[in-house]
Amino acid sequence: MKMKKLLALLLLVAMAVSLTACSSNKKEEPKAETPAANTAENTAASANPLVDTYGFQWTDASAPILNEKGAQEIAFTVYSSKNASALDYNDMKIMADLFAATNVQVNWENVSESVYSQQKNLIFGNAENRPDAIYHAGMGAGEIIKYAKRKVLVPISDYLDYMPNFRQLLESRPDIKAQLINIEDGKIYSLPRIEEMGLLQNPNLLFLNVNWTREAIAAGAVDGLTDDQLKDGLALTSAQMEQILTYFRDHDMNGNGKTDDERPLSFVYNNWQGNQCDLYGMFGLNDNLEHRVVVDGQVTYTITDERFRDATNFIAGWVDQGLIDKVSFEQSQDNFLANGKGLETYGAFYWWESETVVSNPENYIVCSPMIGPDGSQTICVSNNPEISTGEVILFSTCKYPEVLLAYFDRYYDPVISAQINYGPIGIVYEENRDDQGMLVQKPLPEGVTSDELRLQNAPLGIINLGEYAWNNVVHMEPRAQLRLERLQLCAKPFVPENVKPCPNLQFTLEELNTLSNYETNLNDYIRTNLIAWLMKGGVSDAAWQSFQNDLNGRVNLSGIQQVYQNAYDRYTAK
Amino acid sequence: MQGASKAPAAVARQKKEKPSWGKRLQNFKENSPYLLMILPAILVVFLFNYLPIYGVLIAFQDFMPGDKILSSETIWVGFQNFSRFFSDVQFWPLMKNTFLLCIIGFIIGFPLPILVSLSLNALKHKKAGKIFQTIYTAPHFISLVVLVGMLQLFFGRYGLVNNLAASLGGNRISYFLESSAFRPMYILSSNWQDFGWSAVIYIAALSNVDPVQHEAAMIDGATRFQRVLHVDIPAIMPMISVMLIMSIGGLMGVGYEKALLMQTDGNLAVSELIATYVYKRGLTGVPDQAYATAIGLFNSVINVVLLIIANTTSKRFSENSLW
Amino acid sequence: MTVKNPAVKMKIKESHALKDTKGDKIFFICNALFLGLLALIILYPLYFIVIASFSDPDAVLGGQVVLAPVNITFEGYQKVFQRADIWTGYWNTIWYTIVTVILALAVTVPAGWGLSRKTTPGKKFWMLYFIIPMFFGGGLIPFYNVMSSLHLINSPWAVILPAVMSVWNLFMTKTFFESSIPEGMLEAARIDGAGKFRTFVSIVLPLSKAIIAVMALYYAVGQWNSYFNAMIFLQDEKKYPLQLVLKEILIASESTVGGSGETILQQYRLANQLKYVSVIVSSLPVLCLYPFVQKYFAQGVMIGSLKG
Repeated sequence: MKMKKLLALLLLVAMAVSLTACSSNKKEEPKAETPAANTAENTAASANPLVDTYGFQWTDASAPILNEKGAQEIAFTVYSSKNASALDYNDMKIMADLFAATNVQVNWENVSESVYSQQKNLIFGNAENRPDAIYHAGMGAGEIIKYAKRKVLVPISDYLDYMPNFRQLLESRPDIKAQLINIEDGKIYSLPRIEEMGLLQNPNLLFLNVNWTREAIAAGAVDGLTDDQLKDGLALTSAQMEQILTYFRDHDMNGNGKTDDERPLSFVYNNWQGNQCDLYGMFGLNDNLEHRVVVDGQVTYTITDERFRDATNFIAGWVDQGLIDKVSFEQSQDNFLANGKGLETYGAFYWWESETVVSNPENYIVCSPMIGPDGSQTICVSNNPEISTGEVILFSTCKYPEVLLAYFDRYYDPVISAQINYGPIGIVYEENRDDQGMLVQKPLPEGVTSDELRLQNAPLGIINLGEYAWNNVVHMEPRAQLRLERLQLCAKPFVPENVKPCPNLQFTLEELNTLSNYETNLNDYIRTNLIAWLMKGGVSDAAWQSFQNDLNGRVNLSGIQQVYQNAYDRYTAK
Repeated sequence: MQGASKAPAAVARQKKEKPSWGKRLQNFKENSPYLLMILPAILVVFLFNYLPIYGVLIAFQDFMPGDKILSSETIWVGFQNFSRFFSDVQFWPLMKNTFLLCIIGFIIGFPLPILVSLSLNALKHKKAGKIFQTIYTAPHFISLVVLVGMLQLFFGRYGLVNNLAASLGGNRISYFLESSAFRPMYILSSNWQDFGWSAVIYIAALSNVDPVQHEAAMIDGATRFQRVLHVDIPAIMPMISVMLIMSIGGLMGVGYEKALLMQTDGNLAVSELIATYVYKRGLTGVPDQAYATAIGLFNSVINVVLLIIANTTSKRFSENSLW
Repeated sequence: MTVKNPAVKMKIKESHALKDTKGDKIFFICNALFLGLLALIILYPLYFIVIASFSDPDAVLGGQVVLAPVNITFEGYQKVFQRADIWTGYWNTIWYTIVTVILALAVTVPAGWGLSRKTTPGKKFWMLYFIIPMFFGGGLIPFYNVMSSLHLINSPWAVILPAVMSVWNLFMTKTFFESSIPEGMLEAARIDGAGKFRTFVSIVLPLSKAIIAVMALYYAVGQWNSYFNAMIFLQDEKKYPLQLVLKEILIASESTVGGSGETILQQYRLANQLKYVSVIVSSLPVLCLYPFVQKYFAQGVMIGSLKG
């Protein structure tokens, strides 16, 4: 026993010496203290039984990670929630394909999403009997910090040498790296999902009923607007919109004999899509649901801006006149969508797209943001992230984390990512790609919609689909493409250069405590006041003043803002 | 009834003369069958309630799932989790909202099942009574999601109630955005759902009332209403007392689900309860088992105090009590 | 038990024999009106659930379904009943419920009797013992770990056993015994030389059908409606009770990850209908059973057996 150890040690020393002598391209990484880092050097090291016995290799992405013996004897248990329509991951073709390509045996333990949300804590709580990893883990930054401190999680950044794709991703995208790194110890503990389509930043678009508007124009109710202007990209002034909405309100637009069932302007208040935030663009504010946005590198709260008061008063005026349907503030998105079906009742509305809302989307055009009374024309900038961290974590009880991570690293290969996200080659895509190397959709089997096929066969989860993938590997879905075109026309041009959404940020434990102590409070306080103002005619100067006083006083907005600013500064410094 | 009133006197007598050890042993032997009858219940409660009870210690720790609750690595933080809650600016509003919702709910919800059971019992047409009873219990089976969904449909801006009001020339009101409408909707819908179900126990108690007492009262010329007051109510008084004590003891224990489903920005000022607040805090920032446990413990302490007060009061005025 | 004894017949005749006074008549009418009104308030939403369960979900959400179903569709029911797991769910729930009720009665009723006796050794202590868990619990994680060390994970007993004792029900039973069993009869039994167990079985139980029926009902419905323990402890979907199966179907239909606009819409519609369908599918069987329980609440039953 002792001899063996001594020998291994000697070998290691010899290796280290020879390495420092010959390898100059290896970066200096401050992680030599972990044993994994030692074995990470990609030599034909005989110190690693994984390499000896199981043929572990991670450099050649086209070759298996383990040999046949490894396939037989090493198996990982990965716990994962799954979409209810999806097959058991053990039965998915893409998983079988991955096993064939890697020889890494993963036994999936699937539960439904609702069960997982209940069982997550219990999995962590049952310390003796944890799986090797959780997929679709949905881990928040706070959880990761606390568990990392307790050494429950595998520090993935110690194993980057085994993960060529992920490593390359981090190197080329410091912004993603900055979103992942745990501030407390500088390590990465989770794998991200990256799906960059550019769709999420502007979750609203304004749609307008063309036929109704034409009627209003014909009636001479709208100043300075002609029929031939009524096409996608139309920019109305707030005054024109007011005239149009007033006309909708007062007339039997849908011809059912009633003048009270037309809903001039609708949205779903404080919903993640199709909300009221774009209206604030008329006053030059890039509002969002958190009212938090980055302007010139400064984390800014729109609610402290005087223009926010003016905009609120303006919008409240529309509510008061019945131009904005009051039901917009109470309805769920289900109600909103259901009301769009059948008899036409929507004059104008905010939503992700028109196709899901109304039965006749061809009757609606998409508009550019409205131009406000003082000429401002901008749009909501939401903080919905396209990168979600915390998708996969490994437990430190995992015996061969380097193998499992090398396996998960394959998921970040764009061709695999596409299959993870949309379904495998052979079911969803043809075996052969087209001339440009793009994946080609197979014809659909009889009686199955493309969504059903996708939901059944794609596990979703960790992927890297960004610009490169869209240009070289896989086409966006038609629906995404359509929306992208609309955004190019009606949203992107109206986002100022100096305004950025607030990305996923990493906080220290102390900062997180500040947030959890004050943020729920802040949100409650803003929400209570804002809806009262919007529904009840606006905000008086006195009320606005006391609101500002409270924000700076007991609600501790400045403390919260400071936390975000510090985190953001760290993020941009990297 | 007569037997029951005799018994306490006998116990009181027994208490005065302190029995000798020998007599105690004999007493124990004689009454040990009762212990045997309780034993299965004791065991079940021990297994499923007492074995995990050490978890309350989490309230005094910095705890994450997987931590050992009693070991050298445990991070003890004393009352820090409690003081965080007490120093929260929302503390008093939350207490007030929770307390008001619970107390109003209790004042309406407690007597209603009793009233209904008495009414049903006094109904002449017994068959109709049975049908009514079946109808009353049915809403108990409706899930919260459906209940709140129906509330939203009926009380929504274009819902049944508003349509009715509008056709009568009234204004449409967004009930779900009015903070003044939250408590009535919450409480009345809860009662709507459960009064029939809670009445079942009183109906059962009433069924064991001796008809002889009714006959005697009738011979004395008592009307049916008088018989309700003087025969029926006294007969179920012990059950009422015990239910009262237990309800008061559970007064503050309102869950978060229904309030959260009904919550809108408009009614947030009254619909934010301790339970919903804790739930939301768990979703943002650091998920905090310990904090939630501490607040749960604080709630329990309030409830225990209420229980003791209720029990003592009841004991003094009606000689009915839980212990 | 002899319901057909003369005392009950007399009781039934009684109301006819004595003439109602004017005050009585007013009371009866007011009483019937009150109950009838309550029934109406209850009935409309129930009726609404029924019609909503086979109406077009858009019409339901749009507020068009008021008195009659609109665009009748059975899609929701089809979706539920075409799933094989709904039937295993039914079967599981039925047997979980039956076993729970049997065990619960065996535990609760004797314990209630034992606690109701003044001479029970350590009575105050045991009352305290039962009250404490009403207020203090260890939370989910310790509970899970206890169940795990009892080897109950993924066992149906994890759903059944914790449900066989509810302290509320125990105290109701105790109170019933304290107030509804005449001391005189027990005295008589003791003089006859009957032991504590025999007294309980042959005198107390026959007098307590009402409370036994209520307890059976409360425990049965409690188990029937529950899903949380099943969700936590059962991994094997073949063991899922009905409520959990329904919940899963509902969530499945709400899940919209990766779907396109069309699919999302379809799913919203279906989810909204399934809500109502699931209420009916899960509650109808139990409601049908209620009248059978009810007959034990009939007035005068106890006195009948007393004299008979």
